[in-house]
Amino acid sequence: MSKLVEQAKRGLRWTWGHKFRAVVLLAAFSLLVPPPARGQFLDPCCAILAAGLSTISSTLSNVIGGGLNSILSVEKNISSFEQSVVWPRNLIAQAQSLVGGIQGIFNQMQGVMQVPVNSATLPVTRQFEQNLLSSSPNQIAQTSAQYAAVYGRVPNAAAASPETRNMIDITDATAQAAMKKAIEIDALADLELKAADEINRSIETAAPGSAPIIEAQADAWLVRANAYTQSATADLMRVRAIALANDSENLKNGAANATTVQQQIYNLLKRQ
Amino acid sequence: MDALTRVVFGCFLALFCYGVIRAGSRRQVLALTLACVLAVALIGPPPARAQGSLVAAIQSVLNVVNGLIHTALNSINAVRTQVSNLYQQATWPVALINQAKATVTQMIGQYRSPMQSIFNLNLNSATLPNPTALERVMRNHQINDFSKLATSFASTYGTVPTARAASEPDRTMVDMDDALALDNLKTLKESDAADDMTLKMANNIENGASQAAPGSAPFLTASAVASSVVSQALTQKMLAAELREEAAHLAHENALRKRGSTITGDVNAEILKLLERK
Repeated sequence: MSKLVEQAKRGLRWTWGHKFRAVVLLAAFSLLVPPPARGQFLDPCCAILAAGLSTISSTLSNVIGGGLNSILSVEKNISSFEQSVVWPRNLIAQAQSLVGGIQGIFNQMQGVMQVPVNSATLPVTRQFEQNLLSSSPNQIAQTSAQYAAVYGRVPNAAAASPETRNMIDITDATAQAAMKKAIEIDALADLELKAADEINRSIETAAPGSAPIIEAQADAWLVRANAYTQSATADLMRVRAIALANDSENLKNGAANATTVQQQIYNLLKRQ
Repeated sequence: MDALTRVVFGCFLALFCYGVIRAGSRRQVLALTLACVLAVALIGPPPARAQGSLVAAIQSVLNVVNGLIHTALNSINAVRTQVSNLYQQATWPVALINQAKATVTQMIGQYRSPMQSIFNLNLNSATLPNPTALERVMRNHQINDFSKLATSFASTYGTVPTARAASEPDRTMVDMDDALALDNLKTLKESDAADDMTLKMANNIENGASQAAPGSAPFLTASAVASSVVSQALTQKMLAAELREEAAHLAHENALRKRGSTITGDVNAEILKLLERK
């Protein structure tokens, strides 16, 4: 303590002896001392700033806050409308459940259509019937041979007239083609049933926004199915057209045969 | 950066104090002071100048808020209100949605029952015991009584003749004809059963439509289209059966024609032989 007092006395003595230097140092320190902080209550600049910030705050609350609140209110209204009227979750779930119920009916229908209907009793006919009901396009290669085994072949040239042979051949061809078409259509129908099953399953797990895409695909399948139905109808019409042409050909042959018989009787009578 | 400036400033001040204390004369103190003042003036950063008055800055912020932002928020609000009105008045008006559902319900009540009654009318017309039994079994929409159908069919149309009673080609053709006829009768029973299920599907979808929302209806329409594909596939199966039947009919007539031409050839040959003998 006494050491400190001694040093202070020495400092004062030096200052008394060097007044000019002390003044210079004092001036330097007073100039370089950091400026005091300004209090917000006494400084007019801070008062202006506070008033400005307060105005900005109230403007933000009124203008931006009010505007945003109006938008929020409209958005809430839209959201509520969409959730209760347009896309209510409970009704979406109900529709999905209904699609699931339809899936069950699909399965039942497929089961019904797969019950075998074979009825032939003889070996040849049983084999042919098996081929016709196979729904397998791979079996079409055997159809002609099995058809011939049941319905016979075109007679040879010595056994029938060319006209008759032509008629028999085109009739056999049309009948065979129709039977092959039936196999083809059965196979296509099976694939369509499978596709419809898959489509319905995907509807069950779809969203309201994705269901129309699946519907578009189902529409495409429907158009395709219509085309196959038209193709089958065309073959049916061909069969009926050939049957009609055969009836007509029978009349024509009858007329020709009657003329020939008349001529032969006339020749016979002339000879006697 | 600020800390570094302070350290340099502190060192500079210490050097200045040391110089003033150690100076030999007043003239040296004065020179040192002037040199330091000059150095501070040259090295020290220039005073920062304000960009504008504080009031002007605050006013400018207020102008932006009251002008640009206020206008933008009003516009957004107006657009969203329009969208909301569009949804509620034009796209999905609740009144029209309810009206559509009411129409579906009303049509269910108006059409379903009469159509069902028409569809379920008894069309059976046979009078004798065997045909009556056959008719009943072939129109009963059941798929578990095919053996009964075969028995009734045989009772009405007979069975394939024995090998003694008919030639082999005749027996084959009779069996094929009977088989295809029976196949089709069975297929029709399956198709009738499937028809009932198709109608059930249609009813379910219509019931669903009477309670649907615009957002749930796409599920029903998509499922209805898938059901249409199934229905079309069943129609094709029936067409395939009809094709087989018609083709067999044609083949049957053609087989008789083949046999007829052979018989005619034989008869012609016999007549010619007879005439030549005379």
